[in-house]
Amino acid sequence: MEINDKDKDMPRTETQIVDSIISNRRSLLRLGGSALAGLALAGIAKAQATISDTDILNFALNLEYLEAEYYTIATSGMTIDQLGVGITGTGTQGGVTIKNNSAASAIVPFATPAFQSYAQETAGEERKHVSFLRNALGMSAVAQPAVDLVNSFNGLAVAAGIGGSFDPFANEINFLLGSYVFEDVGVTAYHGAAGLITTPANLDAAAGILAVEAYHAGLIRTVLYGLDAANPSSGINATATKISQARAALDGTNNDDIGLGVVANSLGSASTVVNADANTIAFSRTTAQVLSIVYAGGTGSGGFFPAGLNGTIK
Amino acid sequence: MDKFRELVGKAHSRRSFIAGAGAIGATSLILGCGGSTPKPTPIPTPAGITDADVLNFALNLEYLEAEFYLRAATGQGLSAADTGSSAGAVTGGSMVSFPTATLQQYAFEIAQDELNHVRFLRQALGSAAVSRPAIDLSNSFNGLAMAAGIGSTFNPFVDSNSFLVGAFVFEDVGVTAYHGAAGLLKDKNNLGAAAGIMAVEAYHAAEIRTLIVAGSIANPSAPYLDDANKVSALRATLGGGNETMLSATTIVAADSTNAIAFDRSTDQVLHIVYAARAGVATKGGFFPNGMNGTIKATAA
Repeated sequence: MEINDKDKDMPRTETQIVDSIISNRRSLLRLGGSALAGLALAGIAKAQATISDTDILNFALNLEYLEAEYYTIATSGMTIDQLGVGITGTGTQGGVTIKNNSAASAIVPFATPAFQSYAQETAGEERKHVSFLRNALGMSAVAQPAVDLVNSFNGLAVAAGIGGSFDPFANEINFLLGSYVFEDVGVTAYHGAAGLITTPANLDAAAGILAVEAYHAGLIRTVLYGLDAANPSSGINATATKISQARAALDGTNNDDIGLGVVANSLGSASTVVNADANTIAFSRTTAQVLSIVYAGGTGSGGFFPAGLNGTIK
Repeated sequence: MDKFRELVGKAHSRRSFIAGAGAIGATSLILGCGGSTPKPTPIPTPAGITDADVLNFALNLEYLEAEFYLRAATGQGLSAADTGSSAGAVTGGSMVSFPTATLQQYAFEIAQDELNHVRFLRQALGSAAVSRPAIDLSNSFNGLAMAAGIGSTFNPFVDSNSFLVGAFVFEDVGVTAYHGAAGLLKDKNNLGAAAGIMAVEAYHAAEIRTLIVAGSIANPSAPYLDDANKVSALRATLGGGNETMLSATTIVAADSTNAIAFDRSTDQVLHIVYAARAGVATKGGFFPNGMNGTIKATAA
């Protein structure tokens, strides 16, 4: 058993090559110098030639495990496997780090029934994404890696400058802000992956999941923006904007994430519910950029994934 | 016959993705039609269409959305510089009186977004860009209201709640249209752009759906949530199912079995925007003279 697991985890030559490309690209992107852009692009082209649809879908599956655990624990006090969603597979299976070491204690005390409904809907949809990807990948599906929902948010709070710690399960506002951390990243991750997928049916499914992540992001951002408008001294928009800035800093661009607030556009004073570029096209992130965010700047592991992702892209 | 096509369509749509999912997928499909309308066979988009054909199809839809939101937010539609040299006329549309600064901010944001999409697609298409077709924002909504059972007339510009219902007509359709188009695009850059615009339409759709539900919670006797769901039911009739009834527990419009957003063929989208139930249609509804470009007639 242990020997088999070891065999499974042993990187193949091609994955080592991909890993090295990804790790080089990440350091290049961190440096951020335009002189290095050519090298980085060469890395992308090379990575595209090596990465299979299975690798991409497994990368997505890791992110869906994270989202599904977050929403499911927040709404039900149980982990996804306790609700019957499979988490076994290739790689190293890990548990979830939850506050007080108790999922039940992490149920969010929702004060607003509609917000609870939104959370329950989203939880169900993220579990369906996990199940869909697992079914699609079959025997190739990766196991759920270790997921950290405590130290990750605390570290992010420090990095974003929103405090020494952050408990997204403490109340419904914190929960919505915790959701904000994930959804726009999901959009950019699937958007970036779209160009890497080779099979039309896989592309269609990934595009459909991308749209659902964008629905979630639009839902969360609309609710947070409305709460801030109703109570401007709450600082909700400012906190969300700090999270966006932290994500943009972590992915090395500093310019691909729009926070919440009132901005002047060519027509008048406008909201920023949509997170998109100057052409109002949603941003896209490479797998390396997404990893940098979910690892909170770590290499190979950290942040939400203390033991790293499972699969070839990690 | 329709039932047969519906069943074949389900099997076909389920076959998507990786074959290994087959048995489980098929089972969950048959059991899982509760929350969403079933998905009949999409009539395939004609073979041999180019990326420019697809992007021009999208441009027609963006002209429609931009005219709707710009007129609602500002009272003015697209300027001549953004509509092409042989632009059709726009009927209807006027500035909405928004009761709060926040609602006004939403309208300005979405109007600017759709304007940006028009400009982006026109620039990407260059000299191949189609001009704005004739657009009807008055009779179209009246006909839609009658067909949906909302009433004999409907003016989405009369107040902000009506505006949200009017916006609801478009956004989920935009998501399904771009989703369906993704598989037709051959160039990776075009695919990336289309996927990014689809995501923005989904942000908009979620925003509109969330605001309609919030309005209904604040004022349960108001008709707007019910109106939106009548619109959704009509879209399902015209556009091959692909709808999720709106409620506080169903903000996202997606297949209830796997939480993957719906997609529509260009043919299904045309049926909706032309308000055409069946048969060959080349115009109607929001496009009284039809769309411009090569994809503009329904197959059946």
